[in-house]
Amino acid sequence: MLVVRSSHKPSATKRTILALIVGIILFVGSNFIDEYRIFQGAQVAAYLVGIVSIVLLTGYSGQITLGQGAFMAVGSYSAALAVQEFGLPIWITFFIAVLAAALFGAIIGISAGRLSGPYLAGATLAFAVGIPALANAIPILGGEQGLSFDIGYAPGKYADTVSPYKWLFWICALCAIIAVVIAVNITSSGLGRQWRAVRAHETAAALCGINPARSKVMAFTVSSGFAGLAGVSFSATVGLVSPSGFTLALSFLLLTGAILGGISHISGALGGAIIVVIIPTVFESWTEEASLGVATYLPGIIVSALLLLSIALAPEGPSEALHKLRRKH
Amino acid sequence: MNLINTLIAGVSIGAIYSLIAFALILVWRSTRVVNFAQAGQAAFSTYVGLSFEKAFNNFWLALLAAIIAGVLVGAFVEVVIVRFIVKRATSAATVTVAPVIAMLGLLGIFQGVMGLIWGGEYQAYPTAFSRDGLTINGSQIPFSQNDLFVLLTVVAAMSVAALIFQKTSLGLAMRAAAFAPEVTRLSGIRVSRIRTLGWAFAGGAGGLAGVLVAPTTFIAPNSFDLLLVFGFTAAVIGGLDSLIGGVLGGLALGIGLSVVTGYLGGSYTFMTAFVLLIVVLLIRPQGILGARGARRA
Repeated sequence: MLVVRSSHKPSATKRTILALIVGIILFVGSNFIDEYRIFQGAQVAAYLVGIVSIVLLTGYSGQITLGQGAFMAVGSYSAALAVQEFGLPIWITFFIAVLAAALFGAIIGISAGRLSGPYLAGATLAFAVGIPALANAIPILGGEQGLSFDIGYAPGKYADTVSPYKWLFWICALCAIIAVVIAVNITSSGLGRQWRAVRAHETAAALCGINPARSKVMAFTVSSGFAGLAGVSFSATVGLVSPSGFTLALSFLLLTGAILGGISHISGALGGAIIVVIIPTVFESWTEEASLGVATYLPGIIVSALLLLSIALAPEGPSEALHKLRRKH
Repeated sequence: MNLINTLIAGVSIGAIYSLIAFALILVWRSTRVVNFAQAGQAAFSTYVGLSFEKAFNNFWLALLAAIIAGVLVGAFVEVVIVRFIVKRATSAATVTVAPVIAMLGLLGIFQGVMGLIWGGEYQAYPTAFSRDGLTINGSQIPFSQNDLFVLLTVVAAMSVAALIFQKTSLGLAMRAAAFAPEVTRLSGIRVSRIRTLGWAFAGGAGGLAGVLVAPTTFIAPNSFDLLLVFGFTAAVIGGLDSLIGGVLGGLALGIGLSVVTGYLGGSYTFMTAFVLLIVVLLIRPQGILGARGARRA
């Protein structure tokens, strides 16, 4: 089904060159787009990383997670703490966020990696509700107000010419591009093949010499690292790290994006990220004359209905369904 | 005396967790789906109850309306959505993931629709009984008339459910359909109808739990999310396959959390439930009363 598929994917070098080209296009292109769209671009980049982290864990390793927002929170809080307590420069905090979230993911993975299906879903759900509540209770994390996380202006003489939104977009887009390249490299490496083998058939994978438990914990660790990066990008767009930023709704939104884009391939993550950012704003502009309630609740209903439809019609995601369709002809 | 007080305070909320756990387990046993949309179903039923309460100013009529709404919504969800999802998701990769995600999508739809109809603000839900603590021997205990009403209602509902399960042929069919659907089908029982009935019962239990808890938590589209997490924890503590286990799990959780809240403070409540959930899943994954090996989902 998914495990064995002859791949004629480009090599790691080609992928890096492709990523460079995309980066240059985005860098140049961002000069011709209005500020609001640029800000949305930064949001898409942040969500993209978060969705990639879900695709790695759920799509490739087969472990469902409803609590990715919690790992994002861990990354964000450690980054903001590093700035506040130790005065570290912002760029280092991105690495700290990845490391802290990955470490946390490894610890959680050791216990959660033994669960499956609804038990894992329930445990991660509880996790998603629990981490913001815990952050709220720890005094050093700033309670309800949270901690500020400001990436500031572009350095040196560019501070006047580069708008803050553009600077934000560049940073988030850079993170996203790097994350996607690394994720694609991981999934086409031996590690990625191990994950898919364990997902498809645990016993068969074990017979091939793979340690399923270790593979699952590894997936949790890697995915959490990506989630940490997503968290710090997300916090950069908000300018703040607070419990209300990492609600259950965020975790669900990311999972929705991952499903709508196609859970079994990294390639779908961009589409998923665009959908979850764009749909609410589309409805905001459509329903300007309509009541406030419609503008508030209709996007959620539409997104949820899309999620339900997509799971009902193509349980393995749109891209997998297309792939099957192509094979039939 | 202080310890006894905190223990007593946890009993009525524990009874409500038991109801939610009961609803989750009933559905899990028959369909192998954890109904994460239960929070939305329960809130929807409670809103229906609140509308009746406002229109007729009668608590009992509203309670009945909420239970009936819960039953109808539960049956509707099974017939229209769950049946379809379970039929479609058959491959190893999707059989466990797809239902979970479908239920989350359903939860989102419920919460959005509730927001559209009733608005997003927290609304008060009236009670029929006083919520002031009872006075025994001149000292007030943290157990009100309303708590007593909640406890008695849950006990009554559970007794009715137990009677149906153990003493009627319908209950026998439900147990058989959950235990061995193929054999049950061969015996001439419409398993799909029995499943719908199970979802309907669970929905009714959710509606009842919603009306019982709403005076304390207030009602908003997402105000029952936490209740769902606690209900799930209770269900897991008892073993997802055992109805009695779920009821005991709910009571144990309610009392345990009340002790933690009483001695350590409210901010630790959630962490305690979470740690408890993880510990039970790791040490005794089949739950307190679950059968051995039942956890291979």
